[in-house]
Amino acid sequence: MSQPIAEFKQSQPLTLGVELELQLLSVRDFDLTRGATDLLGSMDYDGRFGEIKLEITESMIEVSTLPRTLVDGIAADLVGLRQALVNQCARNHIAVCGGGTHPFHRWSERRICPGDRFDEIYHRYGYLAKQFTVFGQHIHVGCSSGDDAIWLTQALGAYVPVFIALSASSPFVDGEDTLFQSARLNAVSAFPLSGQCPALRDWAEFIEHFSLLQACGIARSIKDLYWDIRPKPEFGTVEIRICDTPLTVERAAALAALAQSLVRRLLRTRPVLNTQRQLHVARYNKFQACRYGFDAQISDPIGLRQVPLRQIARELLAALAEDARELGCCAWLELLDASLASEISDARWLRRRQAIHGNLNDVVREAAMRFGKNGGMNFAEETR
Amino acid sequence: MLTDILSLARAAWEDLQERLFFLPPFPDEVDSLALFSMLLVVGLLVGEWLRARLGWPKVVGYVLAGALFGPSVLGWISIEALAQTRPVADAALGLLMLEIGRRLDLRWLGHHRGLLWAAIAEITLSFTAIFLFAWGVVGLIPAWAAAAAAVTMASAPAVVLLIVEESRAQGQVTERMIMHTALSAAASFVVFAVVVGVVHAEYSDDWLNAVVHPLWVVVGALVVAWLMALLALLVASRLPKRSLAQVFILVATALLAVGTARMLAVPVFLTLFLMGAILSFGDHERTLSYTDLPEGHWLLAIILFVVVGASLPWQDFTWLIGLQAVGLLLVRAVAKVAALAWAGDGLNAVRRRVLVGIGIQPLSATAVFMAYEIAGLYPEIGRSSLSLPLFAAAIMELTGPVLCRFALVRAGETAPTDHSREGVA
Repeated sequence: MSQPIAEFKQSQPLTLGVELELQLLSVRDFDLTRGATDLLGSMDYDGRFGEIKLEITESMIEVSTLPRTLVDGIAADLVGLRQALVNQCARNHIAVCGGGTHPFHRWSERRICPGDRFDEIYHRYGYLAKQFTVFGQHIHVGCSSGDDAIWLTQALGAYVPVFIALSASSPFVDGEDTLFQSARLNAVSAFPLSGQCPALRDWAEFIEHFSLLQACGIARSIKDLYWDIRPKPEFGTVEIRICDTPLTVERAAALAALAQSLVRRLLRTRPVLNTQRQLHVARYNKFQACRYGFDAQISDPIGLRQVPLRQIARELLAALAEDARELGCCAWLELLDASLASEISDARWLRRRQAIHGNLNDVVREAAMRFGKNGGMNFAEETR
Repeated sequence: MLTDILSLARAAWEDLQERLFFLPPFPDEVDSLALFSMLLVVGLLVGEWLRARLGWPKVVGYVLAGALFGPSVLGWISIEALAQTRPVADAALGLLMLEIGRRLDLRWLGHHRGLLWAAIAEITLSFTAIFLFAWGVVGLIPAWAAAAAAVTMASAPAVVLLIVEESRAQGQVTERMIMHTALSAAASFVVFAVVVGVVHAEYSDDWLNAVVHPLWVVVGALVVAWLMALLALLVASRLPKRSLAQVFILVATALLAVGTARMLAVPVFLTLFLMGAILSFGDHERTLSYTDLPEGHWLLAIILFVVVGASLPWQDFTWLIGLQAVGLLLVRAVAKVAALAWAGDGLNAVRRRVLVGIGIQPLSATAVFMAYEIAGLYPEIGRSSLSLPLFAAAIMELTGPVLCRFALVRAGETAPTDHSREGVA
């Protein structure tokens, strides 16, 4: 049944919220296992750091922080949520870890979580629902109006490749090296309403567009829109949905800092948007970032040229320094800068571990250990 | 009728022999390989038929096939033929015990003390309740009552593993069933070793045997297990993890452990269980942790359960002993379910704790083999004194797998039925 779109709930601009989809693993062989409902059913957690909830399959669990104004608050929530999960998983003889895909699980063995919504998704999308056992980070940034949320949905579109490259942590699928840095998004792109938001100017146009989708029977609720970036009226936020879940909560916090600083800068400078032109190159640029990560060549539809993603990312991080300072999240952006400078990404870390171990079970075991411990604020240190 | 047909065939064969001098003498015994193959096919067909028609676990079919064609009913599998298949049955049981030992993750107990208390409660209550029943109600002397309790206190690792694999079950009830099964098996082996000494003390004045035999059983099994685990890890560490070569090494060292245990007269089930536990706990580099047994062990498991079905003394059945066995099983069931429901075990819902208790009800091959080990010490009295646990095992051979599967299904942990995957596994 179609649901009308909720009123856009005004929220304090630039407040942050982070959702992470995490992997539940068997400690025997580090393959994905069925564990989510049992885990939640026996969990004694008071919600002080945010929510822990089910996702589409039993091998996934989602954590979401409380709304926070500072990235430090998000990081503290993520550490608290991680600790609660790690402890509960140890009691249940399972492990938990980050990463955008599980390197070797077989999607056909996944089990859909109980619940009407999950059941409905499975019946609507068939096997795609099981293949959707991929793990992403969603970042919510507060907006003062629906119009701002739609404008930001468009304005942030050009930066999608940077977020993809900095979060990429899914090089392996079905036990194979895909040669991608982020193979997760290939699973998402199979859904009919995935991709980019069309060129809409304001909230009114968005409502009109969504009503059309509803009238044509394409979408029932806003949850059916699997766009890379979409408004979230219930929260009063714009939601960035293209990041892989990183291997550490520290990198997840750093990505939230990037989103917050970028949104502040965009709202402050209000650059002219060339949405139509950007849409021509959006899919290609996304592919480039997924496939090559920092080595991607990004097409510039305005300058009519290709620019290395590494250069775009460096210039962006430099340009955001002032906004980050104002927001008190410089240290987090410096982490990303260091990661870029030293060419260290989660995808690269996973490949390096695979080269050392020669098998993916040990790679996932180490990824789980890495997720469970306090990584501090130094990605370079972690990769040694 | 079978004898008539055989006599006719023998006469015809001997006629032919007079003219065809290359013909061998009429084969009085079935060749081992042919027997192996027949047991496999018969067990498989009955198991698959029951699974397809009635939805019963296949193990029930294998046991029924053994019981039907074994010495007690039709007699198509003779006692001699059973003896012939014993090495294969030992190998099958050994591989399954190796697997349950490998699943014994003591680190989990470290993270979850509640689980440890639940296991202690389940083991203690099961042994005590069965011992008191066998001694106080059935009237066995304490030594045989202790033997009956040692044999029947634990769940059946082979059955639980096969049902879990057959149903592709995953979840907390499944994990706890496997853990409690492994721990109670370990406890029953310790009690078994003590009982061996007690039985010697009861029936012989030779205190040396009463002391040394239990030590021989435990230390012998431990040394063989340790050496074989070490050998397996040593060779496997030179091979790629999860490679086929590692699978061969795991199976080869396990079979070497089975053979060595048989040569030294230490129990195969104990040796292989210990080998698995040592591999689980001592494999710090996770050399063999990810290496699974080949699908072929299912074929051996079919033979094992056909042999177990055929080995049970169905011909000795009396209503009295049947009732006593039912009583023992009821006492045992109440003890297991009550201990787990009371001890908590980290599962919030009492219903799920009860399901774990139901899931660990099976009693099977290990119990039968253990009973025969103890009975073999003093055959003239042992066999009759242990008919109670053997009948309890016989009843549970047929109901245990159904209860185990019922618990997994009710817990919602089995995979949806996928008929394309039906088959041996």
